[in-house]
Amino acid sequence: VPSETLFSNAVKNLTDALTSASVNSNNYRFYVQHWTATTYLDEPRYNMTSRIIPQNMWQSLYRDVLSDLKESKRLVMENTATIESVKNNQLAQIEIMEVYAWSVLLNTFGDVPYTQALDPENSLPVYDDAQTTYNAILVRLNDALSLINDTAAGYADGDLLYEGDMEKWVMFGNSLKLKLAMVIADVDAAQAKSLVEQAAPNVFTSNDDNAVLRYLSSQPNNNPVSNSVTGIYSTREDYVAANTLVDIMNDLEDPRRQQFFTQVDGEYVGGIYGYTNSYPDFSTVSAKVAAPDNEGLLLDYSEVSFLLAEALERGFAVGGTIEDHYNEAITASIEYWGGTSAEVDAYLGQSSVAYNSAAGDWKDKIGTQKWIALYNRGFDAWLEWRRLDAPTLLPPVEGLVVPLRLIYPVNEATLNGTNKNAASAAIGGDSSATPLWWNVN
Amino acid sequence: RRVTGTVTSDEDGLPIPGATVLVKDTSVGAATDIDGKYSLTLPENGTVLVFSFIGMATQEIPVSGQSVIDVVLEFDASELSEVVVTAMGIERNKNELAYSAQQVQGDQVSRTRSADFVSTLSGKVAGLDIRSNNTMGGSTNVVIRGYSSISGNNQALFVIDGVPVSNANNSPSAVDFGNTASDINPDNIESINVLKGAAATALYGSRAANGVIMITTKKGKKNSMSIDINSGVIWSSMDKSTFVEYQKEYGAGYIQSFRASQDLGSGEAPVVRFQDDASYGPAFDPNLQVYHWDAIDPTSPNFGKTKPWVAAENDPSAYYETGLNSNQSITISGGGDETTFNLGYTRNDIKGNLPNSTIDKNMVNFSAAYNATEKLTVSASANYTRTEGIGRYGVGYNGTNPNQQFRQWWQTNVDVREQESAYFRNRQNETWNWNGANTGPIYSDNIYWSRYENYSNDARDNIYGYIMLNYELTDWMSVMGRATLNATTDMQEERLAVGSAGVPFYSRYNRDFKESNYDLMLNFDRDISEDLSFNGLLGGNIRREETSSIDASTNGGLVVPRLYSLSNTVNPMTPPVEGYSRRGVDGIYANANFGYREKLFLELSARQDKSTTLPEGDNTYFYPAAGLNYVLNDALKNVSWISAGKIRANYAEVGNDAAPLSVYDIYDKPTAFGSIPLFSLPSTKNNSNLKPERQKSYEAGLEMDFFNSLFGFDFTVYQTNTVDQILPVDITAATGYTRRYVNAGEVENRGFEVSAYVTPIQTNNFTWDMRLNFSRNRNEVISLYGEGDSKVENVPLASFQGGVSVNAAVGHPYGVIRGNDFVYTNGQRTVDENGYYMVGADPSTIIGDPNPDWLGGINNTFTYKGLSLAFLIDIRKGGDVWSLDRWYGDATGIYPETAGLNDKGNPSRLPVSEGGGMLLPGVKEDGTPNDIYAENQNGDGQTPLGYAANNYVGTPRSLYIYDGSYVKLRELVLSYSLPSSIFGSNSAIKKIDLELVGRNLWIIHKNMEYSDPEEGLGNGNSARGYQSGAYPAMRNYGFNVKLNF
Repeated sequence: VPSETLFSNAVKNLTDALTSASVNSNNYRFYVQHWTATTYLDEPRYNMTSRIIPQNMWQSLYRDVLSDLKESKRLVMENTATIESVKNNQLAQIEIMEVYAWSVLLNTFGDVPYTQALDPENSLPVYDDAQTTYNAILVRLNDALSLINDTAAGYADGDLLYEGDMEKWVMFGNSLKLKLAMVIADVDAAQAKSLVEQAAPNVFTSNDDNAVLRYLSSQPNNNPVSNSVTGIYSTREDYVAANTLVDIMNDLEDPRRQQFFTQVDGEYVGGIYGYTNSYPDFSTVSAKVAAPDNEGLLLDYSEVSFLLAEALERGFAVGGTIEDHYNEAITASIEYWGGTSAEVDAYLGQSSVAYNSAAGDWKDKIGTQKWIALYNRGFDAWLEWRRLDAPTLLPPVEGLVVPLRLIYPVNEATLNGTNKNAASAAIGGDSSATPLWWNVN
Repeated sequence: RRVTGTVTSDEDGLPIPGATVLVKDTSVGAATDIDGKYSLTLPENGTVLVFSFIGMATQEIPVSGQSVIDVVLEFDASELSEVVVTAMGIERNKNELAYSAQQVQGDQVSRTRSADFVSTLSGKVAGLDIRSNNTMGGSTNVVIRGYSSISGNNQALFVIDGVPVSNANNSPSAVDFGNTASDINPDNIESINVLKGAAATALYGSRAANGVIMITTKKGKKNSMSIDINSGVIWSSMDKSTFVEYQKEYGAGYIQSFRASQDLGSGEAPVVRFQDDASYGPAFDPNLQVYHWDAIDPTSPNFGKTKPWVAAENDPSAYYETGLNSNQSITISGGGDETTFNLGYTRNDIKGNLPNSTIDKNMVNFSAAYNATEKLTVSASANYTRTEGIGRYGVGYNGTNPNQQFRQWWQTNVDVREQESAYFRNRQNETWNWNGANTGPIYSDNIYWSRYENYSNDARDNIYGYIMLNYELTDWMSVMGRATLNATTDMQEERLAVGSAGVPFYSRYNRDFKESNYDLMLNFDRDISEDLSFNGLLGGNIRREETSSIDASTNGGLVVPRLYSLSNTVNPMTPPVEGYSRRGVDGIYANANFGYREKLFLELSARQDKSTTLPEGDNTYFYPAAGLNYVLNDALKNVSWISAGKIRANYAEVGNDAAPLSVYDIYDKPTAFGSIPLFSLPSTKNNSNLKPERQKSYEAGLEMDFFNSLFGFDFTVYQTNTVDQILPVDITAATGYTRRYVNAGEVENRGFEVSAYVTPIQTNNFTWDMRLNFSRNRNEVISLYGEGDSKVENVPLASFQGGVSVNAAVGHPYGVIRGNDFVYTNGQRTVDENGYYMVGADPSTIIGDPNPDWLGGINNTFTYKGLSLAFLIDIRKGGDVWSLDRWYGDATGIYPETAGLNDKGNPSRLPVSEGGGMLLPGVKEDGTPNDIYAENQNGDGQTPLGYAANNYVGTPRSLYIYDGSYVKLRELVLSYSLPSSIFGSNSAIKKIDLELVGRNLWIIHKNMEYSDPEEGLGNGNSARGYQSGAYPAMRNYGFNVKLNF
């Protein structure tokens, strides 16, 4: 089969896994307290085993994404009919997506099988050290970027993100590099600095550059959120907006509330996080979020701008000013969601938002605004929250810990127990409270 | 001097052709003709005639000068002289067999009129483990001598008159469409022989590795005419001991409050939490007026009105209706000089116990044989069954299963009769489970709406038959050619109506299956010398199987409500799932039996198969079997109380091929993304190096009859090892796949079986017969795959909701249940500082074993003249079951255990500070007895039991492991044969039998509350040991009338 078809499938599956709101696989919107549940509190209280959440995430990434990417790469290599530059571009597209997928695995679990992974002949792959692996994928990302010839074609029709625009792929690759490098800034500042500075000149410059997958309105190619919230594909009323997010946005009179949530009697009301909430009494997800054809985001300009602001705070030379990047990030987010420039100005004009006057240190300022901007992007919001530790999120009841990682899939204990146990010991215990290697501050 | 006479049978009074009449101590003799008549010339020294016929007791009669001697031969009670049908349809005297074979007569399975006759074998054959679901016409698992294949098929093979017939379970969705063996007409069964071990089945090849249920149908007799009419009606009603008892103190809610008061028409009043599918809400109070679900229903007389806050008068047990199973059959059989025929028609109408559920079956059976010449016999059989079902039951965790609501998510204030009238008033989905805006259902539909609108319907045509030619080449050799066919066509339609919870759909599944077999067989029967007998066969078999299916569904909803067609889809349809597979197996086989002086028998057989489902070039496999059998009759001649005995032993191997499509890799094709095609690697990695799997078994047995066959037993020990299994094993997704085919693994089954009979009382008019079956199987997974460091210790067979899994684990019995255990302190369950059970850290702790310790059946028959009373007690000891029903139901406050008074005498649902709370049995972490009352209602839906316990980590899963033992009064039959004297000798009616029958009337003992421990999850290897939405057991009772003309 054409290698492109496997590439397309992998990109779709990756976006699905990160976008989904199924309690069976993706509960990050709970962990960052953007949403909470109405009735069934297992997941907002961080139970990961009664549904096989880690296993579903693990399977999506390895089996449904990385395996197809590996196969598409094999088919590209075998293909003798395509000219070298096109092949290189295709390989770069595949590599960038592979690096993306590996980064999600590493930033979810910590140590995972890498060097021996994706080989069905070896059903007991060893788990590799997360930091080493992370460094390895950063190298691969660099190599991929150097392969791209933006005057030649790559995957085009089957490129669900950019329809074969290789210039955009250069920007996407560099934006990814910026993001992934920043993750290790607290443990390996030197490498982070070097990579961030390399990437910064070539990152996204507007929302037009965003890595988005434009979902279709009909199943199974609809936005998976629409399978889980009230609408044409579901009658369930499982989610309402969490008071944690709604209260902060109310305080800031955030113009994005109307795009994020529904109203109750003309107001935005969040359900108490981690407790039972009566669905009609609280704001739930907006029609925009619930729409079957709402697009899925893998990386956007707002996020990149926040990263540039952070880079400057960390003393990395990326150009511009902190405040400009910060304002740009918020502007990009409001505009992305459909806000007007008047709303942007009013919002940024508030002392509680303006960079020089907002409360807290730079981590609080950037962290809180980024946490809002990453609404409906649970995984990334969770990643950034773990990194920036802002805003402060408290577990619903004493004794629980907001997850810092997903535990390893339960079936790994029976399928690959020895290696899983070694990895658990290596990372400091297979607990959702174990911080990942980069989570040191 | 001539002597003449007629030999007849005591059973039906009909003449016996081919009986032997010998003049004792001479070589003079004769055989009876077609009318049972004989004639011989008595020699000088002849004084006594010996009458014998296979399967009947030999009689010696002194001539004493008579010239006409008529004899009535009686069936031989001795089990050992029984004639049994063995592999390939060969009739053998049981005496000669080197393996265990247990026979059941046809009327034993037809009289209680189960929708599936297979389920009636339970308790009647030692070593046969039958598990039937309580669904209408639902799945039945038939496993002989334990589960031996880790992930392959473990179900026995069904063979009818030499035709292998499918017992497939084609239930692609959550609806249980049952097994195809239920298409077999019980009225047409003459006898069933259960071939248990590999030695008995080796001739059938690989597919018989799980044993064979060999069915012989009724045949016509020469020069006779007989009409049998059987008419029966069976009612069924719920055995309440297997259903939920509801607590009646608290109603709807996860928390003890109503929705905010509103005015829905009769002033401000509390509104029930319709959206909460639980009963942990406010305490009932008849003086409190609240808005119930029907206040939202504009068609209800109660629209906009309040009603008292009380428990429902009719709980869901009232939802179950009385079932009815009517069965009418007529069989005409007979024959002329050279022909015999049998023609039967059966009509079976079943009305299930759920609303809107029926199965109608029409069964036609025909068989005939013709002696074309003295040497050539032609026979053929054609059978057709059409089964049409409406509203088959959904199983497991699914909206089509009402027990998902009744056992897991229910409000005790909901009256099912009110739900019924709400639906029928306007045929709309007036649910008890309104969403937050009161505009439609949130999770659960009106329970009558779902049965009458969201039903499935199905139809199956099942054809099986054969054509056979038999030619006697010489008097000791014959050649047989046979072609057999079994073909099924299934059509299943399912629907979800517009207005239901969920995306409405219509789906359609079509499946065609065809298997044909061609056998050519040379049969030998020649005594080598006076002492040494020989018979044998040499044959070849060609088997071809073809399955194709298509499964299509609408996408995104239905445009026009109540119009069910694929074209009524909202979004363009995704491509239907198509399946096509073929399998071809060519086999050659040989069998030889040597007998020495009717005492010592040696049986040798061998078969070689070549299968298309194995890698080319490495797809041929050979397997042998050998058995030795010694008849002790002569050796024990001097022990007067021993009437017969034999001892036997055998060894057999059976090879097995792979499931189709497990050798080469292919891509999956997901639905295209708009115009962009997608392909994907499959989730299962195939294996081009597969080799055949192999089963090796040993068996030894002793059969004895005592006191002139008043007592006897058959004792068998066996061990079966299945090695090199072809397994699609789960592997870590880190390999890029979640399953992979490998050749590895060994499962051992060993055990013993006893079947015994005893006649404690036998007088002229009164007899008491007992028949006992006992079997004990021990099963162990010896190895899985991989070596050294990469040795795999566990293969999950299924992971289930609730956090438990069913596994094959090295060193453990097949199918062990894993989940979180308790934390034990000094062997006691430990509670935490809040009084909730602490949960063990390892979610893969072995907490249960679904394999029974032993199975037993006790069959008693009392006969007094024409009156007979028979009852069967069916026993299973052990076999664990994990209940998702309790796991959810305890957390939603349905069961009585979740309410009531605590040991302080206060309602446990009061706050602990007010004297409430639940004291869980166990100890605290310091080992002292638990004295901490756990909040049974803490205001945010947390509970002490079930899934919401311990801050939603849940209760240790081992709390919901139940012992699946049971003792059931499986059958009770009172029958009366009208004395033949009341019919004149010229009467058309020859025989009338009246029967009162009962099935599953009484569960004498069980350890699992509110449920039938026999209930499982549909069909297959992981179907046992887990209950979700279990159906209650049904008591069946009714009558049969049998007429013979």
